Amino acid sequence: MSESEPLLAALRVCKVYPDGKVAALVDLSLEIARGDYVAIMGPSGSGKSTLLNLLGALDEPDRGEIRFEGKPLNAYGNLDEFRSRRIGFVFQSFHLLPTLTALENVQIPMFEGPLRAAQRAQKALELLQTVGLSHRLQHLPSRLSVGERQRVAIARALANDPPLLLADEPTGNLDTRTANDVLDLFAALHRDRGMTLVVVTHSDEVALRAERVVRIRDGRIIEDTRLCTPRTPTHEIPIIAHAQGRGPDLV
Amino acid sequence: MYFLTFLIKNLTRRKTRSLLTILGVAVAVGTMVTLRGISYGFESSFVESFQHRGTDIVVVAAGQADQLRSDLDEKICEQLQHIPGVKTAWPGLLEMIDITRGTSVSSALIHGWRPNTPLFDDLTLLDGRSLQKGDPHEVLLGTTLASTLNKKVGDTIEMQQEPFRVVGIFRSFNVYENGGVVIALDELQRLMDRKGRVTGFSVVLEPAEDRAGTVERVCKEIETLKDEQGRPYKIMAQESKQYVSGTLYIQLAHGMAWITSAIAAFIGAISMLNTMITSVLERIKEIGILRAMGWRKGRVVRMILGESMLLSIAGGVVGVLGAVLVTRWLATVPEVNGFVRGDVSPVIMMQGFVTALVVALVGGTYPAYRAAHWLPTEALRHE
Repeated sequence: MSESEPLLAALRVCKVYPDGKVAALVDLSLEIARGDYVAIMGPSGSGKSTLLNLLGALDEPDRGEIRFEGKPLNAYGNLDEFRSRRIGFVFQSFHLLPTLTALENVQIPMFEGPLRAAQRAQKALELLQTVGLSHRLQHLPSRLSVGERQRVAIARALANDPPLLLADEPTGNLDTRTANDVLDLFAALHRDRGMTLVVVTHSDEVALRAERVVRIRDGRIIEDTRLCTPRTPTHEIPIIAHAQGRGPDLV
Repeated sequence: MYFLTFLIKNLTRRKTRSLLTILGVAVAVGTMVTLRGISYGFESSFVESFQHRGTDIVVVAAGQADQLRSDLDEKICEQLQHIPGVKTAWPGLLEMIDITRGTSVSSALIHGWRPNTPLFDDLTLLDGRSLQKGDPHEVLLGTTLASTLNKKVGDTIEMQQEPFRVVGIFRSFNVYENGGVVIALDELQRLMDRKGRVTGFSVVLEPAEDRAGTVERVCKEIETLKDEQGRPYKIMAQESKQYVSGTLYIQLAHGMAWITSAIAAFIGAISMLNTMITSVLERIKEIGILRAMGWRKGRVVRMILGESMLLSIAGGVVGVLGAVLVTRWLATVPEVNGFVRGDVSPVIMMQGFVTALVVALVGGTYPAYRAAHWLPTEALRHE
């Protein structure tokens, strides 16, 4: 893949809702560069979640094509494996498994990877330390605050070191302060890990933390605004320092 | 965390449901192991009663699958002993008899044997003496029956409204004899009004290099024996093991065990299917999350089948242990302790575990298939 090649691209994709009457996406094209931080905004029913599903290889377009590192998704063969290695998902409702501790929840995606049980546990521990939850390792989701739950979900999304993080309304269930902590964490991942972030949101505050805002209405892009220049990916080992129980401080 | 740990944690989410499912599988497996254990114990004890005494061939009336209804002339015994290759033969009369026990009546097998025959060699006298020729109204009691009736040497039991004195209490290698009565053949013939008649004969052959060939030849010769008027006796001679497996009671026991086991296993599988379908339907969104995180269909299938396997293995262990305990307990119940050995063979236990695994596969496959084939987007939208 050349440096100029986008990490992710939607090429004239169309998607019709299952009822066959309403088009969720109409001839939509979008390129996302490696290391970009993109917010996708739009009213309910505009097609932004549908777009996120297509970009995340959870669904296939009726027409058009999704490309990752210049290759169509179907060239990757098994899309489950593709998602496992290349994409981390963060959801509005966290979707942690209720019977598993924070440490165990983070290990769930690693079952598809090559790590042994002890290595999985060690890596989950490191990820939870990264998101500032080293003091909550053995807590069940029911004993965590909503902000802590979302941070566990973020740690889980990072489990297989994906280059791309897709977040669907990640702050939708959080208060302002907790939402800011999560957004700080995203910013740190973006800057320190060189991760490419795509965040679907209703919130202007969330969108303003991104480098680029794409607005969608009726399945079409109506505005694509670059807020600042995308950073150059570093591919360096992430360095996120944090205090126990607090969101990350960036160094 | 191991994958197994994850499965166990999934199952502990609904503890009551999981326990009830384990119980359902345990009942299915336990029923199967208990019934098949009893029926095979029944057969092996029967076979043992012949083989332990070296009986090669059993002779009974032809066309009677019910051993108790076989009726032959006692004189045939002498003809049997003259067939080349036959070492010895002895007659036996077997009846089911009612024994008065206070205000109730117990049924027991009663064996009519000629005194001083080798049959008595395998009875270990625990108390009293053996039967002697010409002993009227005297019996030996098997240790299980003596305990059930609470009788000791010198006591009297009542059969067919006649009193009989207990002269000895014995222990046999055979569970049926331990639960039964041994009496002189002529005394039982008199009591049952079957003078000169017997149920059948046990035939012991001389050692031979070609045992199978000798058995076949002697059986053919026995079946062609004729009475004094030259009429065939209509008798059937079979190798003892073959005879036992063809006996009506053994076939009935096996048949009932199979049918009941199949019904129990079917109910267990339906219970498992219900549990796993409910479990999967409750977790549609969660399965969508797992798929979104990159879990392959195969891993989802392994998760659901793994859970049903764990439930079944737990049910299998509980069921087999329960069956062993129930069988042991049945061997102490007066009404049946003369027919139940009280042990379960390892082969039957393994069959129990195999049944549990089949229940897991039958109950888990469809839910696993359903779970694996939901589209992640549809599963994630599920509320």
